[in-house]
Amino acid sequence: MSESVNIPEPSKAFPGIGVSTDQGLLQWISSVDHKMIGIMYLLVSLLFFVIGGAEALLMRTQLALPMNHVLSPEAYDQFFTMHGTTMIFLVAMPAIFGFAVYFTPLMIGANEMAFPRMNAFSLWITFFGGLLLYFSFFAGGAPDAGWFNYAPLNQKNYSSGPGIDYYTMGLLLTGIGSVTTSVNLVVTILHYRIKGMKLNKLPLFVWMVLVNSFLLLAAFPSLNAALAMLLMDRQFHAHFFNTSNGGSALLWQHLFWIFGHPEVYIVILPPFGILSEVFPVFSRKPIFGYSFIAASSVAIALLAFGVWAHHMFAVGLGNTVDSFFSASSMLIGIPTGVKIFNWLATMYGGKIKFTVSMMFAVAFLVEFTIGGLSGIAFSIVPIDWQLTDTYYVVAHLHYVFIGGTIFGLLAGLFYWFPKMTGKMLNEKLGKWFFWLFAIGFNVTFLVQHVLGILGMPRRVYTYPNLPWYGILNFISTVGAFMMGASMLLLIYLVFKSKKSGEVAGNDPWDAFTLEWATTSPSQLKNFDELPVVHGRRPLWDWKKKP
Amino acid sequence: MMKLVVGTEAMFFVSLIMAFIYMAYNAGFEPHEVQQLDIKTTGIFTVVLFCSSFTLMLAEKKYNSRKIKSLKFWLAATIVLGLIFLIGQGKEYIRLINDNITLSGSVFGTSFYALTGFHGLHVFIGLIILSIVFVLAFLGDFNKPSSNVISTVAIYWHFVDIVWIFVFTVVYVLPHFTKI
Amino acid sequence: MFTLKLYVTHFFFLQSVENPASFQAEKINHLFNVFNVAAAAMLLLVCVLVTYICIKFRQKKDDAREASQTTGNKKLEALMIGIPTLLLAYFFWQTVSVENAVAAPLHPAQQPDVIITGHQWWWEVEYPASKVITANEVHLPAGKHILMELRTADVIHDWWVPQLGNKMDMIPNTKNYLQVDINKPGDYFGACSEFCGAQHAWMRIHVIAQSQNDFNNWLDSNTTNAHQPTDSLAMRGAYLFQTKTCASCHRIQGRNAVSNYGPDLTHVASRQQLLTGLIDNNETELFKWINHPQQIKEDAHMPDFIFDKDSVQAIAHYLAQLK
Repeated sequence: MSESVNIPEPSKAFPGIGVSTDQGLLQWISSVDHKMIGIMYLLVSLLFFVIGGAEALLMRTQLALPMNHVLSPEAYDQFFTMHGTTMIFLVAMPAIFGFAVYFTPLMIGANEMAFPRMNAFSLWITFFGGLLLYFSFFAGGAPDAGWFNYAPLNQKNYSSGPGIDYYTMGLLLTGIGSVTTSVNLVVTILHYRIKGMKLNKLPLFVWMVLVNSFLLLAAFPSLNAALAMLLMDRQFHAHFFNTSNGGSALLWQHLFWIFGHPEVYIVILPPFGILSEVFPVFSRKPIFGYSFIAASSVAIALLAFGVWAHHMFAVGLGNTVDSFFSASSMLIGIPTGVKIFNWLATMYGGKIKFTVSMMFAVAFLVEFTIGGLSGIAFSIVPIDWQLTDTYYVVAHLHYVFIGGTIFGLLAGLFYWFPKMTGKMLNEKLGKWFFWLFAIGFNVTFLVQHVLGILGMPRRVYTYPNLPWYGILNFISTVGAFMMGASMLLLIYLVFKSKKSGEVAGNDPWDAFTLEWATTSPSQLKNFDELPVVHGRRPLWDWKKKP
Repeated sequence: MMKLVVGTEAMFFVSLIMAFIYMAYNAGFEPHEVQQLDIKTTGIFTVVLFCSSFTLMLAEKKYNSRKIKSLKFWLAATIVLGLIFLIGQGKEYIRLINDNITLSGSVFGTSFYALTGFHGLHVFIGLIILSIVFVLAFLGDFNKPSSNVISTVAIYWHFVDIVWIFVFTVVYVLPHFTKI
Repeated sequence: MFTLKLYVTHFFFLQSVENPASFQAEKINHLFNVFNVAAAAMLLLVCVLVTYICIKFRQKKDDAREASQTTGNKKLEALMIGIPTLLLAYFFWQTVSVENAVAAPLHPAQQPDVIITGHQWWWEVEYPASKVITANEVHLPAGKHILMELRTADVIHDWWVPQLGNKMDMIPNTKNYLQVDINKPGDYFGACSEFCGAQHAWMRIHVIAQSQNDFNNWLDSNTTNAHQPTDSLAMRGAYLFQTKTCASCHRIQGRNAVSNYGPDLTHVASRQQLLTGLIDNNETELFKWINHPQQIKEDAHMPDFIFDKDSVQAIAHYLAQLK
């Protein structure tokens, strides 16, 4: 029994994949096809990843030796602010949206997103937001108060350049893009699933995207409100965060982290979803504990709004408040951490194939455990009192963002590249890339834990020549350049494979979900007919019972 | 979709209202500034805005029972009531500014104008949408029964009203019962 | 010279969280060590499982059988949730008890022993009981329970000396408190740990813990007014200091200079370093600094002045006498 797929029907009037027009590259600009938009999101992400990475390398060069003078203090401050802002808002989020808008319709058996034009709007407004943010470099200086831009340092009297204004406007624009995409994804997932795909049969990636979209819709308004207030402060002399006129420094921290901590889960849940697809396929088994993984993501989304003040243990909120947020932060660690064992149990008893995608997934297990454990250290208030705002935090957050988000996204890239281009991403070079990237990453950040324990604060443009500081920082810089080199390899790999890679076929991994039931890449209309879904692995069921 | 938009907008107003309350307790408003608010007049305009929700509800009802003429009438009534509310808010602003309470003057001014201003902006946007719907009604877009435009717009308009109830309570009513 | 001494002392008495020198730091350090053991065990468990599973269950070439299609195991899942929950419950209990030991409730009438105010980018230190004001190098008595009051004059700063325990932010318009019981006399180093602008890197902390006796002596010697200039060069320096804007930002007790916009200079020559540890304290370094501040500490709030070399020399000479 099979079901014809009509909704939503993409119109031939819209340019998209498989529709030949004479427009050439212009076709990309005018496209509303979710697949082209997905690819463009990923390209935007790659572009900003290169820029943000270059900023990181400049910072690491400055920090390679004690009392170094490669960058001036202002330049260093602008670079670390832009590095953080870029990596969160212009790399992690676009990459996640790229995979989400490309694969959500394919995995639920739909032909398009619910609102194709809005989809294109979201992409471009995000991109323009990013461009606006970067225009600040030409307009008199980039923002220089850190990516969380604490008051009152973000006020005109301490940061008189236009950088913070560009930060505000840029983030508001990308924020609009994120919110509209989330609305789009929620409506698509709730209304356009193929017959039989109940919510408890959704592929876990789509589950995570769904939960994530709700999380995003609830979290972003808080940032937007804070940004609007900051804009009023800077442009109309309002008094929200202007501490010399009765404003409050802590209000900004509260509003920012009510957004900021859910944001951390916003960039980790979809990679969790990707891994929950990758592990089963390459272990040849269903996921272990589907219900736990799905339900725990909802728990994470809800708890995420009750943990924000663990970023503020050192501001003097008092032991009672600190203890409350300590408990909630530990609590959220459980649904997050236990997933590691779900994935391990998925692999257990399987027939594991070590493709590059699977290698990233397995490496993720170890890296994310390290990031998660140092995260638990920060939920223990007294330890946080010692180590917050040191290099220990820098190490922790990079183990979560790179060891978690980026490793997950790279597993997704190697897993889905054949579907997106019809060509395999070169596995042999891919393994070189994996080792170079993974080793470079650990060399860079493992030593930073020690630097934090030795008392090195974060966000310093230089440091005195104290024992171990020089050598550990130098090691970290060497690792950073290894990662830089590995990124060049990845870019070469992607464009080489796209041009002359091995042809992939429709289903190179013998996978389980619906995106592999169509051509690679699929036509403008993704599906004409699909089997009715009865289980969580529709394609597997279909292949078993011809 | 509109429900999601309203949900995310609701979080935005929660942030603004929490900021207002936080500023009230943390920085401390000048009591004389709080007392300058005209609770009576604004109370009347609050009733006006509240009525506009009912008129829009009636409009929706008329549309469902295919009475296009009454639909147009109640839509117009809604727009007029909304306009009256905005004019009322404008008068309040002018009076306060004449009394030297401005956005850049004090912490109270900052919080007050930001919160009520963002709400006013939402009323204004709602009026634009309603006007478009009104014009579309004359162009005959609603002669057929299948449209859900009016019910979607209504969700937004009711939301704006409900937000005002909260804003009014927090800004105008509560300070009379608590010591700020 | 001092930098070398610093290097050596740091080397033998590593200025780290793992080398606590106060009651508070010891408490936290103990908890940190327990946590590290638990965390290491957890990491080891994951690593062992990953390695074992990857070796045991990798696809073998001639093995065409299908893997067993298990989808879950309720008992195992309960265990996976239960054990971490118990571990975390233990750490939460520890959190609360250490929190209360380190940051014990304050008596409302308790007066701070020292008030430290963060400025971009230096520390103002005031001893309210004796009305002594100094800057950057913080003298504290060892073996005594000390209550520190932390404030800021501009943006958020953060007080952190790893060996002495927890850090505490300095929030505008707010007073925060920190308690410390230093075990024994010595030099303890730290740094501002909240990003506070361009020279955040050079806002380092030097705590000099002394025995109660030494501390009292030090305090006494600092209650006095600044020394009068003795030779003619120093007198010219003092005159220039007073007339050429220096006095509008810096305080020198006993002279007509009272501002706290810049560091107090009453006994500046008795300090070991200048600019929170950036340069050594002697006449040559002082000369370099006053001659071209923006070259030594870019973006510091002390601007480049248009002085001739002789004037700078005079001011440096004067300041170098303020023991």
